Amino acid sequence: STSSVLSTEKDESTPSRDTTTEVASKGQESTAETPKQKLIDIIGTMKVEVSYRNKQLKAREVKKQGTNKLEGPESEGATLQKATEDVQRGKPINPELLEAASAVASSLPLNKKQTVSELLAQLRRHEETTDRQKKGGTINIRNVISEMSIKRQSPAQRGVRISSRISLELDEDGQRIKPGRLSAQSSDSRSLKVGRRLNIFTKASTETENAPKTESPPTIWDLEFAKEVAAVTAQPPRNGFEEMIQWTKEGILWEFPIDNEAGMEDDAEFHEHIFLEKHLEGFPKQGPIRHFMELVICGLSKNPYLSVKQKIEHIEWFQKYFEEKKEFLQEM
Amino acid sequence: MAASALGWALRAARQVLPSPCAGQVRGYYVDWRMLRDVKRRKLAYEYADERLRINAIRKNTILPRELQEVADKEIAALPRDSCPVRIRNRCILTSRPRGVKRRWRLSRIVFRHFADHAQMSGIQRAMW
Repeated sequence: STSSVLSTEKDESTPSRDTTTEVASKGQESTAETPKQKLIDIIGTMKVEVSYRNKQLKAREVKKQGTNKLEGPESEGATLQKATEDVQRGKPINPELLEAASAVASSLPLNKKQTVSELLAQLRRHEETTDRQKKGGTINIRNVISEMSIKRQSPAQRGVRISSRISLELDEDGQRIKPGRLSAQSSDSRSLKVGRRLNIFTKASTETENAPKTESPPTIWDLEFAKEVAAVTAQPPRNGFEEMIQWTKEGILWEFPIDNEAGMEDDAEFHEHIFLEKHLEGFPKQGPIRHFMELVICGLSKNPYLSVKQKIEHIEWFQKYFEEKKEFLQEM
Repeated sequence: MAASALGWALRAARQVLPSPCAGQVRGYYVDWRMLRDVKRRKLAYEYADERLRINAIRKNTILPRELQEVADKEIAALPRDSCPVRIRNRCILTSRPRGVKRRWRLSRIVFRHFADHAQMSGIQRAMW
């Protein structure tokens, strides 16, 4: 395992750090260049993060030591780069591993840097595959199972469920009443909208789908087209029922059961119908006209067939009429 | 002959109705008298409110008489066809002005015809 390897290699003496860091950074860059590798790294980090949380202190200690060692030689930018890369990856790339690789490369007669980079790449791949194979399956299942909880159905609940399925309640039309839909969204304990985001999909920007229409009023051609379509699709009724439906739509036939207040939407309260004196403000307070208008109001208040609007229209018409006749009246 | 030809040419009184249904639609009134009756009904409906108000001024003991005379003149100035008195309840199928039963809007002859062919719902020959 990697942890054991790390513990043994801690004691090794550190050769010249700069070369190793340079080589290591180069190696990392070569490996990190492939986007596939980047993706694998990201997935690896995700999984590794979880694993590190679940696992014990050993991993944390190792990581801390690794970061500490990295922070030590902060002379060059390359080291910082490397540090950031490592921190991003979540794994301490193991200066010990680098040392080992460099030692091996130095032992070999070929090009040192190349061998070191290749070795590191291979090591990394190997580690990742082993990690994934080891922890990938288990982590996934563990993740999923940890959030799930075993639900015990009480016999009462079961009875309810069964009875809800076999409901013989009938509607007026003779259709079964549905047993109160089991909403797919929030079923008892779990719901679809709860939980950590996986960040697998990027949110597609909602395209403005013809938000403002270029021509706001529909053109004549559009209207003609619509009329044509309506004329073609309006097939003659096949039977009496369809004929009656058509008539109902046109308004020739009333809707059954007959609604006595169909088409009559008088939302006004009773006091608006009866107390119409407030509309009499334009009239003189004394005289025969006032007397006449009071009679008019009395008659209107007793009329149940007119709407409030119509009554007000009557009164306003009288007002206009008497204003027009004012000169005539004053002559008298 | 010429009169009938003229009649044919001018056809019976016609109303342009944009019919949405594809079936046969009767686009004509039975005769000109029926058309005139239809016009009178429409005008009467339009001027009903005004006539009511002016008549309310006229049939009054409170308002001064001069005002009422002015109202008289006003109502006389309205179109003649706007008064409801000129409406005649004609038979809707034959335009017969007399012998029309109000409930069915049919003249007695048409009514009898349909009733004998059992096309009037709930109508039976009386026998007692």
